[in-house]
Amino acid sequence: MVEDAGFRIGISASVTGDPLVPHLQKYLARRGMKSSGVQVAPFNQIHQVCRQHEQVFGGSPDIIFLSWRLEDLLGSPLSDWEKIHKVLGDLAESVSILRQNFSGTLIVTLPACPVDFSNDLLSVTPNPASVSVDHLRVFWLGLLENRGSIHHLDTHSILLKIGQDQAYDARKWYLYRQPWSERFWELLARQVGRIICLQTLPAKKCIVLDADNTLWGGVVGEDGLSGIHLGNDFPGRVYKDFQKSLSFLQKKGILLAIASKNNEADFFSVLDQHDEMLLKREDFVAFEVHWNSKVESLKNIAKKLNIGLDSIVFIDDSGKEIGEVKERLPMVTCLQVPEEITDLPTFLQTEDIFDMESITEEDLLRTSRIQATEQRQRLQEVLSEDDYKLSLNLQMSVFQMQDQHVQRIVQLINKTNQFNLTTIRRSQEEIQALVASGKYIIVGMTLEDKYGDYGLVGVAIVKKEHNIGIIDTFLMSCRVLGRDAEVAFLTALANISQTYGCEFLRGYYVRTLKNEMVSNFYQKQGFSSVGDFWQASCEDIKALQHIVDVKII
Amino acid sequence: MSDKLIALFADILEISEDMLNDETSPKNTWQWDSLTAMHLIAAIETTFDVRLSTKEIVSMDSIAKVRAVLQGKNIDI
Repeated sequence: MVEDAGFRIGISASVTGDPLVPHLQKYLARRGMKSSGVQVAPFNQIHQVCRQHEQVFGGSPDIIFLSWRLEDLLGSPLSDWEKIHKVLGDLAESVSILRQNFSGTLIVTLPACPVDFSNDLLSVTPNPASVSVDHLRVFWLGLLENRGSIHHLDTHSILLKIGQDQAYDARKWYLYRQPWSERFWELLARQVGRIICLQTLPAKKCIVLDADNTLWGGVVGEDGLSGIHLGNDFPGRVYKDFQKSLSFLQKKGILLAIASKNNEADFFSVLDQHDEMLLKREDFVAFEVHWNSKVESLKNIAKKLNIGLDSIVFIDDSGKEIGEVKERLPMVTCLQVPEEITDLPTFLQTEDIFDMESITEEDLLRTSRIQATEQRQRLQEVLSEDDYKLSLNLQMSVFQMQDQHVQRIVQLINKTNQFNLTTIRRSQEEIQALVASGKYIIVGMTLEDKYGDYGLVGVAIVKKEHNIGIIDTFLMSCRVLGRDAEVAFLTALANISQTYGCEFLRGYYVRTLKNEMVSNFYQKQGFSSVGDFWQASCEDIKALQHIVDVKII
Repeated sequence: MSDKLIALFADILEISEDMLNDETSPKNTWQWDSLTAMHLIAAIETTFDVRLSTKEIVSMDSIAKVRAVLQGKNIDI
C-alpha cells in the first residue's frame, strides 16, 4: 500500500547533525511510521547541499531538514549588520534554489538566540545580542517569503521550553562539534518528526469521549447533577479546562462524539442543564449513551459519520474499556485519562496526534455540515431514492485548479481513502510540479444542495498522451457519495479533457485496503476493458445519465 | 560474558555480542569510529544515568576502559 512505502530523510546541519538520527527514528517508530533511511550530509555544508542535493545524498530524499545556527555562520556576538544581511541573504538564496529543484518536504530551522554565557543576570540593560536576534529572525522569514513551501522549525521555542543551561553541553561541543544536550536533540527530533508525520499519516477526524470521570469528575448516575465535579475549583477546574482544549480542537475541525455507559436522562441533564458545561449539544455529532459495549458505540459512530475507525481517537478513564477497545478495534487510537488528573487539560497536545498542516475552510465548517447531513437523512427516509436525489437539487461546479484551491486539493489527495481509484498521495510541491510540466489537467469539484454547501469535495488529475487522457487520480470525499455526483463529475471531466484534444479517457483501479467500493467504477460507467485499463470515448462518457446540475467553469 | 555494557555496544556498533569483549577497541573494530563514539557516549550516559567528564570520555578507548570508569563510579553494569 502507498502509505506503507518507506521514505528517505536527508539532514544537513551547521554542526554535527548525527545525534538527531536515533531520536528521530525513535519518534517516528512511536508514531507507527517506517522510514527507509536517514542520511546526514557532511558537517557544515548547507550551501553545497542546497545546490547539489542529489549528489550529496545519492539521489533525492523525500524530506530534507536544514539545521543552522546564527553563531556558526556569523560568529558571536552579532554586531556587523552589513555582514549579517549578506550572510543571511546568501543562505536564503541557496535555500530558494533547493526549493526550486527539490519536490519533497523542506524543513529549515528558524534560528535561536545565540548562546551567550557572558550575559549577566544582574545587569538591567537588555542583552544586545538577544534584542537584535528578534529582528534577525523576522528578517530571515522575510527573505524566504513567497519562495515556495518551507516548514520553519523554531529552535528558539525549544530553548525557551528547556532553558539554555539544559540545552547546551559544552563537552559535546568541544569533543564533537555539536553543542546540544540529548534532551535538546530529542525535542528537535520531535518537531522534525511532527512535520514528517503531518505529511504522511492519515489525519484523525473524530474524538469519541467517555463522560463520567472524563468530561467531568464523578459519576452523574450516582452523584447527581449537583454532585459531579465541573467548575472553577479543583478538581472541577481540570475538567473544565479539558473541555476548553476539546472545544479548541472542535473549532479546528475535529469532530466530537460521546460513548458513555449511562442513562440517557442522566447524561443529557448534565449536557443541557449544568452551568459549567462548556461543550454544548450542538458541539457533538453523535451520541452513544446506553449500556451496550463501547466497541459497538465506536462502530456505530464510524458508520454514522462515514469515517474509518483508524481516524478515531477514543478517550476513557477506565483501563478496562480502553483494553477492550484496543483488543477488538486495534485501529482506533486509544488514550486513557492520565493518572495525574492535572495533566488532563494538556495531554492531547503532548500526543501530537491532532497536528494539522493548515486549517482549510472545509475543516472549520465540518460540524455544521454533519448536522446538515442529518436533515438530508431524515428526508431520505420518507422519499424513494430517485425522488430523494431530485429533491436535493444538487448543483456541481467543476473547474481547473487555481492557487486558492491547492491546499484543499492536496488535503483531499492525502486523506481520501474510500472513493479513490488510485490512491496516489502527493505533496503541494508535487502538485505544482505537475502543473509546471504542462502535461497534466488538474480539476476540482464543488457541490451544494438545498441544505448546504459541501465545499470542494472532488479531485481528478488527467495526464494527456496524444488523443488519450489517462486518469491518474479520481477521488471524491465520501460525504457526497450515492448522489450521482461521481457520474456527473466524470462527465464534466470528459468535457474538459475534450477541450484539450483528448478523444478517449482511460482509467485504472489500484486496490488498497479501503477502496473496494470503487473496484468496479469504470466498468459500471460503461468503460471497456483494454489490458489493465478501462477506456471509453469522451462522447460516450458525456452521454451518461445523472440528475446533477453541472457547471463547468 | 554478556552484560548491559556489552549489550549496549552491540546495539550501537551493530555487532553481535559474542564478537565483543574487554579488548574491543577502535583499533580492532572499524565500526567504532569517531561518529559511533559519539553515539556510544550518549547511550552510556542515558542508560547508566551518569555524566562523564571529557577526561573520562577521552580515556575510554576500549570496552575494558569504559568498564573501569563506570565501575569506579559504583555503577551496576
